[in-house]
Amino acid sequence: MSAPGKTEPIELIARARTGDTQAWGDLYREYAPAIFRFCRRAMPTKEDAEDATMEIFMKLRDKLGQFDESRSFTAWLYKIAANHCWDMLRRKKARHDKDTDDIEDVVLECPEPNQLEKLIEERSGEEVRRALDKLGLRARMALVMRYYSDMSYDEIADALGVRRQFVGVVLLRARHELRQTLGESSALAAGGAR
Amino acid sequence: MNEGLMSKEIRKQDACVDEMTLLLYAERQLDREAAQGVSLHTQTCERCMTLLRALDRESRLLTRSLLEQDEALPARLAEFQERVKRSMQWIWGVVFGLAVLGLYALYTGYIEPWERQFEQAGFGGSDLLSLVMFQGAFWKGWQTMFTLFEALAVMVMIGFGLFAFRRYLRRGSAMAVLFASLGLLLIASTPASASEFRKGDTITIKKDEVIKSDLFVTGKHVRIEGEVDGDVYAFAEQLEVSGHVTGDLIGFVQSERVSGVVDGNIRTFTNNLTITGTVERSVLVWNQTFDLEPSGKIGHSLTAGGQTLTVDGKVGRDFLGFSESTTISGLIGGNFKGRGKSLSIVSGAEIDGKTVFEGEQPPSVSPEAKLASPPDFTKAQHHAKERDAGYYIWRIIWTGAFILFGLVLAGVMPKFASEAVESAGHLGASFGLGVLVFFGVFIASIIACITIVGMLIGISSLMLWFVMLFASELVVGGIVGQWIMGRDDEFWPFFLRVIVGVVAVRVVTSVPFIGFWAGLAVAIWGMGAIALTIYRRLQPSLAPNIPSVPMAPMNTPLPPHTTIGGI
Repeated sequence: MSAPGKTEPIELIARARTGDTQAWGDLYREYAPAIFRFCRRAMPTKEDAEDATMEIFMKLRDKLGQFDESRSFTAWLYKIAANHCWDMLRRKKARHDKDTDDIEDVVLECPEPNQLEKLIEERSGEEVRRALDKLGLRARMALVMRYYSDMSYDEIADALGVRRQFVGVVLLRARHELRQTLGESSALAAGGAR
Repeated sequence: MNEGLMSKEIRKQDACVDEMTLLLYAERQLDREAAQGVSLHTQTCERCMTLLRALDRESRLLTRSLLEQDEALPARLAEFQERVKRSMQWIWGVVFGLAVLGLYALYTGYIEPWERQFEQAGFGGSDLLSLVMFQGAFWKGWQTMFTLFEALAVMVMIGFGLFAFRRYLRRGSAMAVLFASLGLLLIASTPASASEFRKGDTITIKKDEVIKSDLFVTGKHVRIEGEVDGDVYAFAEQLEVSGHVTGDLIGFVQSERVSGVVDGNIRTFTNNLTITGTVERSVLVWNQTFDLEPSGKIGHSLTAGGQTLTVDGKVGRDFLGFSESTTISGLIGGNFKGRGKSLSIVSGAEIDGKTVFEGEQPPSVSPEAKLASPPDFTKAQHHAKERDAGYYIWRIIWTGAFILFGLVLAGVMPKFASEAVESAGHLGASFGLGVLVFFGVFIASIIACITIVGMLIGISSLMLWFVMLFASELVVGGIVGQWIMGRDDEFWPFFLRVIVGVVAVRVVTSVPFIGFWAGLAVAIWGMGAIALTIYRRLQPSLAPNIPSVPMAPMNTPLPPHTTIGGI
């Protein structure tokens, strides 16, 4: 699960673990933008994302000694980030968004394949990001974990505190919610054009 | 969702696959059998193939949208690392600088002059250690140091307050400025001296001389024939008090004789002390030979330790004596309690309270002595040095109870427990901070209790200190357990390591001779680790109001590709 075209900064990590502040600074500079973007996608506001990024790196500094060098540092860092963001959201008492309850009773209507293809074709990255901002916290968090940081279903289940079998349901429901939001914005845009 | 069941459904019905199954297939989350079923079906079903492609494209769209670098790293975050480093360096520089300055002020203002006086009085080198053990006698003298201690105590308490709430201060510099101000206050708080100092070979306070303050006197021969309206602190080879001291007499003297009147107490550490005069309050003496002559009177109690104690005069209340040989021929107004080799209660002696003696031989009591009750004698027991089975059984029981205490603590705050154990792995930082907390917080708490800062803060700090002291062994046990068994962050495996570590620590601390020092090291180490954890938890967050400025995109590692399977 390492970053494409990017080798793991083993030496940097080893130096940072010994308390080398320069190495720590380099590590921060290298990973802060990606982690900030992760937080920006997962958290409701920019300020929350900035706070979360700083706290994640403080946590990282404390936990760096625990890092198992046989594993991917990037994956490990994203796991810390995901757990921290989700903890922050829970602390904000924003946990009960609409897709957290009665998850087992979810009934989702299968989309018309051609319509879905059309919807996807017409959407830009910016539109998708705007739509993501409107999703429930859990739905957004799940999509970010899966499609931004490539976390496994097990890791997502662990971070969100759901059974592994329901991760697929959470993701599918999040996609439906996203499609609905994109469809609504499309209809609004079409209405405005008329 | 059970993926195995789904695959059976697919095979049996050969019907269209639902969206959930297609998504799981696309994300390689189906087992081999189910995946084969979906694969076969999509080869023949146009609708399902289209949906599968749409899901795949949707995944790619999501990944692309999320990965797009639409926003530069805010300046606040870009500067975060450097700012934390710089501010922390500055704060620590100021704090440690002030600590050194404070210690220097304490040494030059108080310790050095006292040390000089001790040396002039003939107590140099190793004798000072004995004096430290006898420092209870200093107590009243410490009152003159309250100005300094108050400043120190206020500084420590405010420091703790700032430390605890600095997250909300938003500016580390505010803390440093406050520390700096308090440091200046400390330097400025040189105590105003209201004491008289006399120094020389022979010092005599003449008969008609009156000193209206405390007297610090140093010399070979010191005579107080006049009046001192205050306390007397004497460091001398010979001290003779034939005059009047309205306060206490505190002495570090080789040979001391009191033939005058002391309105307060005598607290003294001497080679020999003879009292022929009157002491209105109590006498506390530690020496080789003590004599209360027939004309001598002590208004309250006598507490004496030494080789030979002789009481021929009057003691108004209780007499507590520890000596090789004690002889009583005078009047004891209260109880006598003694310990030593021998006790002689001779003719003319009177003890109005109980007589309790623990020694090697029964007391020799003259038939002409007047005792309120027969002497209660206990033969001194020489405890066997070897520890019996009971000791070890109790030790095991207490260890069990201690582990339960640890379980409760770890259960109540598992994350903190885990972090504290991890902090213990940083040996240097833990020990360094541990020394500061073990001694510093304890002293600060005591000072807080006795000065203006207040009992509430002092007692709360002391309680916290004791909790940390007890928990320290658990923390050290945790890291030792991890060294023995390897690391595991799950609760029960983690706690199992704590148990193993605590047992190992207890075994080491039970070893005679080294056990005490090992226990001390464990306490300092563990307390330091706890303090380090608290410190880390209170790491500052920086002001959120720094405006973001556009920055050039940095060399950012891209998150890994999303896995899209199936097609």
